[in-house]
Amino acid sequence: MFNSANLHSPRTQALILLAPALGAYTIFAVWPMIEVVILSFQRWNGLTADRAWAGLDNYRYIFTDDPVYWVAFNNTLIWTVMSVIFPPMVGLLLALGLNEKLFARGTMRAIYYLPVIIAPIAVATMWRWMYDPFFGLFNQVMTDFGLQSLIQDWLGDRDVALYSMFVAFTWQNVGFSMVLFLAGLQSVDRSLVEAARIDGASRWQVFRHVTLPALQVTMTIVIVLSTISSLKAFDIVYGMTGGGPAQSTQMLAMWAFTQSMQIFDFGRGSAISVTLLLITLAVVVPYLRWSQKREEAAR
Amino acid sequence: MNYGKIAAGLIASAGLVAGAAQAEDLTVWTLNYSSEAQVAALDAAEARFEETHPGVNVDIVKRGTDEHKTALRVAAGSDTGPDVYFMWAGLGLGGEYVKAGLSRDLTDYYAKYGWKDRVSTPSLAFVEAFGPGMNGAPYRFTGEAIYYNKGLYEKAGITEEPKTYDELVAAAKKLKEAGIPAFTFGGTVNWHVMRLMDVLLETTCGVETHDALTGMEADWSTTPCAADAFKELKMWSTDYILAPFMGIDNRQSTNLFLTNRAAMMLEGDWQVNVIKEGAKLEDFAVYPFPTGTDRLYGFAEYLYISTKSKNPDLAAEFLDMFSSTEFQDQIKGAFGALSVNKSVELGDDVPELYKTWKDIFANAKGTFVNGDQAFPLDVTTEYFRIINEVASGNMEPQAAADAMQAFISKRS
Repeated sequence: MFNSANLHSPRTQALILLAPALGAYTIFAVWPMIEVVILSFQRWNGLTADRAWAGLDNYRYIFTDDPVYWVAFNNTLIWTVMSVIFPPMVGLLLALGLNEKLFARGTMRAIYYLPVIIAPIAVATMWRWMYDPFFGLFNQVMTDFGLQSLIQDWLGDRDVALYSMFVAFTWQNVGFSMVLFLAGLQSVDRSLVEAARIDGASRWQVFRHVTLPALQVTMTIVIVLSTISSLKAFDIVYGMTGGGPAQSTQMLAMWAFTQSMQIFDFGRGSAISVTLLLITLAVVVPYLRWSQKREEAAR
Repeated sequence: MNYGKIAAGLIASAGLVAGAAQAEDLTVWTLNYSSEAQVAALDAAEARFEETHPGVNVDIVKRGTDEHKTALRVAAGSDTGPDVYFMWAGLGLGGEYVKAGLSRDLTDYYAKYGWKDRVSTPSLAFVEAFGPGMNGAPYRFTGEAIYYNKGLYEKAGITEEPKTYDELVAAAKKLKEAGIPAFTFGGTVNWHVMRLMDVLLETTCGVETHDALTGMEADWSTTPCAADAFKELKMWSTDYILAPFMGIDNRQSTNLFLTNRAAMMLEGDWQVNVIKEGAKLEDFAVYPFPTGTDRLYGFAEYLYISTKSKNPDLAAEFLDMFSSTEFQDQIKGAFGALSVNKSVELGDDVPELYKTWKDIFANAKGTFVNGDQAFPLDVTTEYFRIINEVASGNMEPQAAADAMQAFISKRS
């Protein structure tokens, strides 16, 4: 029988409050993920209702016959490694600088954060124009300074294009790391810093032995979020090179999209998405568990 | 309670419902055209059909290419969607939708309205290609040829338009000696450089072998002319294309052409409008790429009636109106040099370039289509990749031919 007392229990109320969000999450996040996994074992062109069972064919194709998959895989790997190194590093340096009492510190923080709120596709368009080999800012400036020998086809040369895109990506994302590090720096115990200075520690020693250990939790967050966002890098690639030249800047997320939405092979596109999902889980889950254990041990 | 007001409200609602029931909607999905003339032509089609069909509301929905393709996929899997949709007529594009059953067989409408006699023969090439029946009504047929800058030709001492491929190469050499890049292409949009490969394949292979290669019936790896075409592509990319070109798109390439940075472009008849908007038409001329086969390089675009359309008769009336002599006469020049309607003549006041185009169409002995219209989508994507590899100097011609065949052979 219905007991009104149950309705007032914290557990029931929590469930009632969570139910709409859980429902939406299941429909719009969990189910599509399951659907993608199912699709990766099927053959479907998105036009007909018929979805033929393909077994492991899609996976066999992408691993052995697809001329682009491993290029995209390597690029994603390079991009991810660079993403967990450079934007957080620059973000940390900016945060350290802007944590000091500087003139117009608030304005400078806002300026450095500004690119984060710009749509990636707009950033891509802007940088594509700056990289234009004939009329773009970079080559024009180099010409003006007599540095013609350094002029490049920034987005058209396969040896340079990926890194050119990464510079734009760093420009956009460095503000995000900076804000997280700034927040982390506020939690550094001032008394420890002062004690270290009284003991004669240099600025580097204070940073190395006081500030940095206090930022470990922030670093974990920054690195995990950078890893996730870099693995799913799409907009900037789509907007700047479209994966070219000759698919040399292709990434897994973009190649999954291309297979599904441009070649209309949803089975292969889903298989690529599943591999990307597994890679993301393989990187993120162990790291989270490791950091969780460290935190527990520290208590 | 005021029963009078309620009754009046109910009567008014009933009137609205009845009015809505009488109105018919016709939805047409097409591309987002950038040319003002093309947008105006579509607006005119909408207005004209509504004028001649009182009570019909025509809604022409324009989207970007990828969005249009995606929307059609979504429509294919549901009961909603357009009555009429635009698509390029080739195998990997319109042909795929026909094969998937999204296109209604128009055989009866062709007979009823006499479309086969009305439209030009080249534009009908794909109507019965992917069957069953007749699918799509020609909306536009375009040709692609070499536009050149008369002043730069003169500066390089080129006095005549090249008639053979060797003469074209000799002209390119003269241009290079005069410090002028022969061609400009934009590499970021894969299909732009592909045009050069398409015409080179026609030049080195001839009609039958070219068709067999694009039909995936001949072996790219063991057919020498395929590697020869890649070899020529490499030669053009290295020596005669304004560099760098892999990092720019077709629009940037056009700007370079219009600002005299390169002597030639391989473009369609629609380019006349583009030149008109950005430069002086009299400074440019056009001639077919000298492939030696005299076939016209071009492609067709069709309007298809969807099998999901609740009112195919009305949709057919729209297609009939669109290709009618009266309407095509009203919009002539908007979508290219020639109308798909054979009876529509160019006026005396049209630009000289259009008159040249008319001759190019008239003198063509058959047609061959762009690679991305000839191949299925997955092969097209690989064709793009290989062309770009060769054009960037990262793949040797024979390796390119081998890679192409390897991909085709592995298709399930």
